[in-house]
Amino acid sequence: MKNLERFGFPAFIIIMAVLPNLLDPRWQAVAITFLIFTVVALSQDIILGKAGMFNMGQALFFGMGAYITAILNSQYGWPMLATIPVAILLPALFGILLSGPIIHLRGDYLLVVTIGFNIVFVQVVQNNLGGITGGPNGIFGLDSISLFGTQLTSQISVYYFAFAVLLLTLGIMRNLEKSKVGRALHYLREDQLAAESIGINTRLYKIFAFGLGAGIAGLAGTVFATQYSAVSPEAFEFIQSVLFFSIVLVGGSSIPGILLGVFMMFVLPEIFREFATWRFFIFGFAMILAMVLRPRGIWPASFGKIPKFLIKESNHGA
Amino acid sequence: MDIFLQQLANGLTIGSIFALVALGYTMVYGVMKLINFAHGDMVAASAFVGLTIYTQVMGQATSLVAVIAIFLLSAIVMACVGIILERLAYRPLRHAPRLSAVVSALGASLMIQNGIMLIWGPQMRIFPELIPQVYWDINGVVISLIQVLILVLSLGLMIALYLFVEKTRMGAAIRASAIDQDAARLMGINVNKVIALIFIIGSSLGAVGGLFIGLYYRGITFNMGWQYGLYAFIAAILGGIGNIPGAMLGGMMLGLFQAFIAGYVSSTWADAFTFILLILILIVRPTGLLGERVAEKV
Repeated sequence: MKNLERFGFPAFIIIMAVLPNLLDPRWQAVAITFLIFTVVALSQDIILGKAGMFNMGQALFFGMGAYITAILNSQYGWPMLATIPVAILLPALFGILLSGPIIHLRGDYLLVVTIGFNIVFVQVVQNNLGGITGGPNGIFGLDSISLFGTQLTSQISVYYFAFAVLLLTLGIMRNLEKSKVGRALHYLREDQLAAESIGINTRLYKIFAFGLGAGIAGLAGTVFATQYSAVSPEAFEFIQSVLFFSIVLVGGSSIPGILLGVFMMFVLPEIFREFATWRFFIFGFAMILAMVLRPRGIWPASFGKIPKFLIKESNHGA
Repeated sequence: MDIFLQQLANGLTIGSIFALVALGYTMVYGVMKLINFAHGDMVAASAFVGLTIYTQVMGQATSLVAVIAIFLLSAIVMACVGIILERLAYRPLRHAPRLSAVVSALGASLMIQNGIMLIWGPQMRIFPELIPQVYWDINGVVISLIQVLILVLSLGLMIALYLFVEKTRMGAAIRASAIDQDAARLMGINVNKVIALIFIIGSSLGAVGGLFIGLYYRGITFNMGWQYGLYAFIAAILGGIGNIPGAMLGGMMLGLFQAFIAGYVSSTWADAFTFILLILILIVRPTGLLGERVAEKV
């Protein structure tokens, strides 16, 4: 495990850095999708895996980021890169405001309320509220990214944009693990009452996790809007949230597990295209099988550098 | 006033369907503390099973006996599916972390939903006209025979279930298992049998709900389970999940609410208003309308 972290991680990053030059355009597009959905799944992991809050509406924040970029670019003529701060901050703010009143709800209720947020969001953009979301067709014909006066139109440049966002997210995850915030989240997920009794402000940290996860998902949304130079409501439906939720739990809330989960959910279907109609049937079966065989996920996360003999078996997120 | 009474009749109809389906969620949650995400898809599957029984087994007969047979056979088929589901997808995870079982339930939901698509195809199918189209016009308010039947049958089933759970020994076993499984086991209750029983009851009530959806809306699609399942689940939460009268109350309330939103606002916003109602009620009463405040176990 240790060796894998030491060598596997840099190897993964080097492979991903040279990958687009080896692929044809169709597979480049798949690789970009892989990067974007990995970022969203990691942002979901902050809320669900790290903070232990049953959030099943992550596609809402992802979609919100994408729509903010699309609206600011198409309606107000902002350059794509200039929309990034808004696409991070507004979803983060929404995450904080939405989670504030519901954070005390019991796990399952929280799950349903977050599903609700997702569905309300999709209905709002579908009904074209305020006439700026483009209704069921969405918004298309967005600009490409321009950096120092050059238009970055090629797919490879979108890939590296997505890759940079993934590296940033991985950096945040790494820092989270080693910081006070990460430890606080770890304690409150393991045992909220115990965390409170040693003076951790659980409410504050939960809301913080929601805001952070929402902001990162919003940034992923900008990348998504850049890739397709379009956004439409069906990309952010509740089914997407279900997939992100499942990826985190099937993967075991660890970075390798999540990468594996995203690969299985979004890349394998591209390889086995002839089985497209069987896709979700097989996913469903695989989800049951994975949970029955490995209830803690394929690659369960371990926290920090605690020696193995000190760790007692406990119920994650129970 | 006409629109009010008309939507009242429509709301009671869909409300009783929601309530029937909600009972399946609430009973499973009450004993297993698990959101059975596959329940909505079981409801959808029941409509398709009913359709196939009608065309293949009953030779498209619409006599009273044939209709009753379709209802009974669909309920039996779905009860069997429910037991198999519990055995394969939920029982191995009973002592696993809570979220593992949720993922397994989501997987089962995807499997059933897409299983329907693989068997019956992705396009909308038309449910047979099992009940004659009879309408009564009472001062401008139109009520159909189907609506009356749905309401009466649902209320009958709900009262029967309530009496079963409250007045019989098996009902007492269900209630005991819901309160504390280990203590129930010590009292000699076979909790595995209780869980199988609630899956049989929940799935067959859901099957009846699915056939009602087919009869009332006529068009059935493979993915309708998520929509009705989600509404029914919200109904269960509104009433206080795990609480049987709460599921009935929540179902009726949600049906009426949606009917009035459709009548006075617009049906394109029905989902948004439904969730806003849910969120508001949960903020005021975090355990639903009839739910009891549960102290946290330490």
